[in-house]
Amino acid sequence: MSTPATPPRSLAEALRTRDDVSLAALLRSRPDLITPVPTDLTQLATRAGTRASVVRALERLDRFTLQTAQALAVAADPAPYDELLGLMAGDARDPAVVNALPRAVAALREQALVWGADDRLRLVRTARELLAPAPQHPSPTGLGPTVAEATAGMSPGRIQELVTAAGLPSTHDPVSAVAALTKLFTSRRRMKTLLAGAPEESLEVLNRLVWGPPYGQVTADPAARLRWLIDRGLLLPTAPGTVVLPREVALHLRAGRAHRETEPVAPPVEAKATHRPQVVDAAAAGQAYTALATVEELLKDWDEGGPTVLRAGGLSIRDLKRTAVALDLAEPVAAFWVELAYAAGLLASDGEADERYAATPAYDEWLQQPAAQRWAHLAETWLTATRTSGLVGGRDAKERTLSALGPGLDRSAAPEVRHRVLTLLAALPEGTSPSTESLLARLRWERPPRGTGSAAPQSEDDLRSRLARWALDEAELLGVTGRGALSGQGRALLGAAKGTAPGSAAATAKGSAAKDTPSDAGDKLPVHHRAPTLPEPLSPAEQAVASAAAARLLAPLLPEPLDHVLLQADLTAVAPGPLERPLADVLDVLADVESKGGATVYRFTPGSVRRALDAGRSASDLHDFLTAHSRTPVPQPLAYLIDDVARRHGHLRIGAASAYVRCDDDAVLSEILADKRSAGLRLRRLAPTVLAAQADPAALLDGLRAMGFAPAAESADGDVVITRAHAHRTPPRTAPEPVPDGPPTPDTTLLSAAIRAIRAGDRASTTPLKTTPSPTGELPRTGSAETLATMQAAVLTGTTLWIGYVNAEGSASQRVIAPIRVEGGFVTAYDHTADEVRTYPLHRVTGVAELAEG
Amino acid sequence: MCTYVNGPLIVQSDKTLLLEVDHERADDCRRAIAPFAELERAPEHIHTYRVTPLGLWNARAAGHDAEQVVDALVEYSRYPVPHALLVDIAETMDRYGRLTLSKHPAHGLVLTTTDRPVLEEILRSKRIAPLVGNRLDPDTVAVHPSERGQIKQVLLKLGWPAEDLAGYVDGEAHPIELDENGWALRPYQKQAVENFWHGGSGVVVLPCGAGKTLVGAGAMAQAKSTTLILVTNTVSARQWKHELIKRTSLTEEEIGEYSGTRKEIRPVTIATYQVLTTRRKGIYPHLELFDSRDWGLILYDEVHLLPAPVFKFTADLQARRRLGLTATLVREDGRESDVFSLIGPKRFDAPWKEIEAQGYIAPADCVEVRVNLTDSERLAYATAEAEEKYRFCATTATKRKVTEAIVRRFAGQQILVIGQYIDQLDELGEHLNAPVIKGETSNAQREKLFGAFREGEISVLVVSKVANFSIDLPEATVAIQVSGTFGSRQEEAQRLGRVLRPKADGHKAHFYSVVARDTIDQDFAAHRQRFLAEQGYAYRIMDADEILAES
Repeated sequence: MSTPATPPRSLAEALRTRDDVSLAALLRSRPDLITPVPTDLTQLATRAGTRASVVRALERLDRFTLQTAQALAVAADPAPYDELLGLMAGDARDPAVVNALPRAVAALREQALVWGADDRLRLVRTARELLAPAPQHPSPTGLGPTVAEATAGMSPGRIQELVTAAGLPSTHDPVSAVAALTKLFTSRRRMKTLLAGAPEESLEVLNRLVWGPPYGQVTADPAARLRWLIDRGLLLPTAPGTVVLPREVALHLRAGRAHRETEPVAPPVEAKATHRPQVVDAAAAGQAYTALATVEELLKDWDEGGPTVLRAGGLSIRDLKRTAVALDLAEPVAAFWVELAYAAGLLASDGEADERYAATPAYDEWLQQPAAQRWAHLAETWLTATRTSGLVGGRDAKERTLSALGPGLDRSAAPEVRHRVLTLLAALPEGTSPSTESLLARLRWERPPRGTGSAAPQSEDDLRSRLARWALDEAELLGVTGRGALSGQGRALLGAAKGTAPGSAAATAKGSAAKDTPSDAGDKLPVHHRAPTLPEPLSPAEQAVASAAAARLLAPLLPEPLDHVLLQADLTAVAPGPLERPLADVLDVLADVESKGGATVYRFTPGSVRRALDAGRSASDLHDFLTAHSRTPVPQPLAYLIDDVARRHGHLRIGAASAYVRCDDDAVLSEILADKRSAGLRLRRLAPTVLAAQADPAALLDGLRAMGFAPAAESADGDVVITRAHAHRTPPRTAPEPVPDGPPTPDTTLLSAAIRAIRAGDRASTTPLKTTPSPTGELPRTGSAETLATMQAAVLTGTTLWIGYVNAEGSASQRVIAPIRVEGGFVTAYDHTADEVRTYPLHRVTGVAELAEG
Repeated sequence: MCTYVNGPLIVQSDKTLLLEVDHERADDCRRAIAPFAELERAPEHIHTYRVTPLGLWNARAAGHDAEQVVDALVEYSRYPVPHALLVDIAETMDRYGRLTLSKHPAHGLVLTTTDRPVLEEILRSKRIAPLVGNRLDPDTVAVHPSERGQIKQVLLKLGWPAEDLAGYVDGEAHPIELDENGWALRPYQKQAVENFWHGGSGVVVLPCGAGKTLVGAGAMAQAKSTTLILVTNTVSARQWKHELIKRTSLTEEEIGEYSGTRKEIRPVTIATYQVLTTRRKGIYPHLELFDSRDWGLILYDEVHLLPAPVFKFTADLQARRRLGLTATLVREDGRESDVFSLIGPKRFDAPWKEIEAQGYIAPADCVEVRVNLTDSERLAYATAEAEEKYRFCATTATKRKVTEAIVRRFAGQQILVIGQYIDQLDELGEHLNAPVIKGETSNAQREKLFGAFREGEISVLVVSKVANFSIDLPEATVAIQVSGTFGSRQEEAQRLGRVLRPKADGHKAHFYSVVARDTIDQDFAAHRQRFLAEQGYAYRIMDADEILAES
């Protein structure tokens, strides 16, 4: 800002002075401001000041910038830059903070959380309310209220006493007395003198309260050490039995610092181990291959009817366990693969009456792709999915178990955390695996978990840390990383060229982002430095290009499929590497898999050979197959095993028939078969004296009787069945309910509610309005901007409004309300009609009019 | 691009290692992984090793660290080694040595830790509590000296193996020398003795017929102290004695036999498991044998047969050197880990086929002959009680005819017929006109018959399972197994071992197993053969009709 004639008087004016680039930066970092697009800058400024939007913006600040905002919230309003610097860097002027502060202020300005020139920095009012210390929500700074705030309700006499005790001349009025006290407390030199006279025990009390919480309990008759402090206003009473350390005193004791520890610089991600990049790529490729094999095995396992879908959706714990055992994996890992296959569209519920999970047609297409592309599809899915398998087995807010494939597993932060974890890895030199702790510390600095804005994070269990931990594990499982370090293909997946110089991660993430990130030229904002933008996830089109690049890098690292196995006399076959698919498919049927990994060990058993014969192969087929694909001669025991199983295979035959005809006279049966009328009974001769029929016994009896035979029915034991007529009955039924002929009598609650609504409507229509009512007595329709403005004004003035309102069912009503708060598109108001506090969406308010008298 | 393409080793996710034996670097690789991986299967093309915690800890005990293990895997692996597996190996090996057993000058045996939480964890275990004494300081706890074996065993089960630095007592010295006159220890036997002596205690696994007795003698010559030898039965005891007199400087007077009939205690004493485990009025009266002398070395022959009570006694003998000898460490009761924790880790293991290639055991032709049950037998088999089924199909009359045919085929060679059921054997003896050795045959009679067989006076001998172990029949070239102890893999190996001693004329040995087709006999046979098949012995399968048609 090139020294304008008059400084801006509001955020809207400040925004008006900003150029397009900086407005774009604002809207990019706070996309909620343009949904829907505001009509003008005033509206934008209003929206940027709404509570929901400010909370969202504050949550996305890094720790230092947030600390800066917190410091501004305890500073004067407006505050000059120097005061802020004093709060952040302390009296000692910590050089690191001095360096970093301009960047933080610039970031706050860009996000429209702070406006005004350096001599009068103003924090947006909502942000100030959120961050300023209040008894209800203590500030992360641990500071209490100012002297002026704390003495607001105090009697003038008491204030004069304080002033006198502190060694100041008495004044005429409380305001000047408080000002004098404040002045004393903010003067380092005079405070030193004052405190020099303090008893040792009193100083200890101050030391306990100095870093917060600033509140302390006192008895009705405080001890001498407390009395000394209370007398001089170094502790001020807030409520009976409670005292507070005023902000100015605390700041003096803290040498001016608002935070015990400031973290001006992002903690670096430390290296834990370094491997050769080739080793990392190869290890990751090996794992990528395992990933593909695991997904294929999972879906093959579910090929003939997967597990059933729970009624609430998802996979039962038992089915997950079974799957984990089948895949020989731990349950959380199995859950990861199941979720990944689901997110990749490779499996879904079949939607039948008896709902089961099964592979999708997309799975068959996926199978046809080259291995590297199959991997790229999985990796891309993982990177962008919001479903989070790490949550499986945990419980949701309603204490229901979260099941794999079930609802409640979406975490919108997940893709962003995964992307950030990988970009942090990408910033390390190639082949370096980070220490998890330092990585998590960095992430927590970039986005302090809610409630831990201050330096020391209390727990490491916040969602983002958990997401990051899962992301690291999952990246390793997928082969995006190898031995903990980002692989070449993983780097490509992020859209970075393999050769990118490490350390410039921010610039590597995105072509378009790189354009406006580092350049200071043409920057018209009154900022000292532009805050470094975190690399953003790629757009779908860019991601597709990046995935293809990753696939190209991976392809040569994956092992070539083999066309042979080694057969051994202990009835095993070893495939010393991945097999070509047709070969693997046949072997999977013909033998049992004994061990998996780089190679596969198969064992031939009578059962497995029988399975192959059941699948329609003949013994000679199998011999030919083994001879063709074995590098070594087929061992005699194996050949013998196949022949031996084939010899007995199909010896017993089983079929289904629904009835039979048995007769000792072959000729009669031949006669029946020869008769054309028996065609409908679908008879087949099993043995000279037995016919099997597809018709049921009753139809068979009727059919044969019609043909002129006299058959008798036989029971399962072979006895002749004698049939008698049975009386016909319905299945169990309940008796019909009685239907009364009028509505039920209303109860008292219903009656009183109805009367109140009638009276309120009466009042609304008879109260004179300030605005000219329409001739019909109906409410004038007002535009949304006007509605909002009127509401906001009413909040400030406390007037009562008459509104037209359409409820969710679409029925219109008129209500008399006293608005209390307008935020996030809702108005919270005392509703005279309903006699309670209610919340109404603004977009449902059709019109608003002021009432002459509330 | 891939740096791994040429390795001979494939690391599987279930922690098995597949070694391609025909690969040019296979031998180097085998040497590199032998310290920590157990050879599990050794068929013709691909050998399977398994990485177990026990193997890793033994490697640590032998001075290998995780880095070396990981390097060996990465170096020889054809494909990238799963990271999780490497981490697991490092973590497992890291557990070893956190606890050490050592001698304290004032408090005797103590358990010390370098990692206090581990000590706290194990002291909270109910099974450790009775074995330890006072807490001497935060990192040290006293251990009752008699519980040295017990505590090691329990700690191993808890996953925190203790490093035993308490050392061994030397025992009462007694001069023993090998009498290498006209013979010498074979290279692998020397290696086995050396490995054992280095490790202090442990188990040596050698195929039947590969000269385990000489490894024992070699160990005694190293120890040069009084020795207690535990063997399976009296015949075996006599053979040990015979062999020791022949191969070492020991004389008849220095070797005592402690068995059901004789109770001699001499500088070298050979006792049978049976006499040790005899129980009278709830106590084991012969236990004092362990304390009767200050033994410097205790030898366990056929350690896979070690009866449970002997495990208990052995636990008390941790201060003495222990050597276990066996051909197969497979126990159908799965107590291999007790053998490892109480006697010691495997110090030497040689695949059968390797020893065969060196010419120290005879090559063998293993044949499974399948006989058909007759129709009436099949019906009877189908209706037999579950517990009678095996006996029924194993003793089918058709087997006799086939056995006779095989005996005719090898007429003139030394043939052993081995079976489980006495009436079947009696019947066979009658038809083959051959003597039968069974449980009730007296020791004198047994030795007489063995002698005659050795001299070639008798060419066919029918034996029951009493002859399963440690009988020395140098010239048997054909063994015919008609029935066995269900699916015992170990018995099958022992029986094959009967014919594996190298033949004077370089003859091939023949091992026939006669099995009833489509019965549990066939299933058991498949199980029995697994160990040998995994050692690379390929069984041919023949139909009985072929054999009968030939003769």
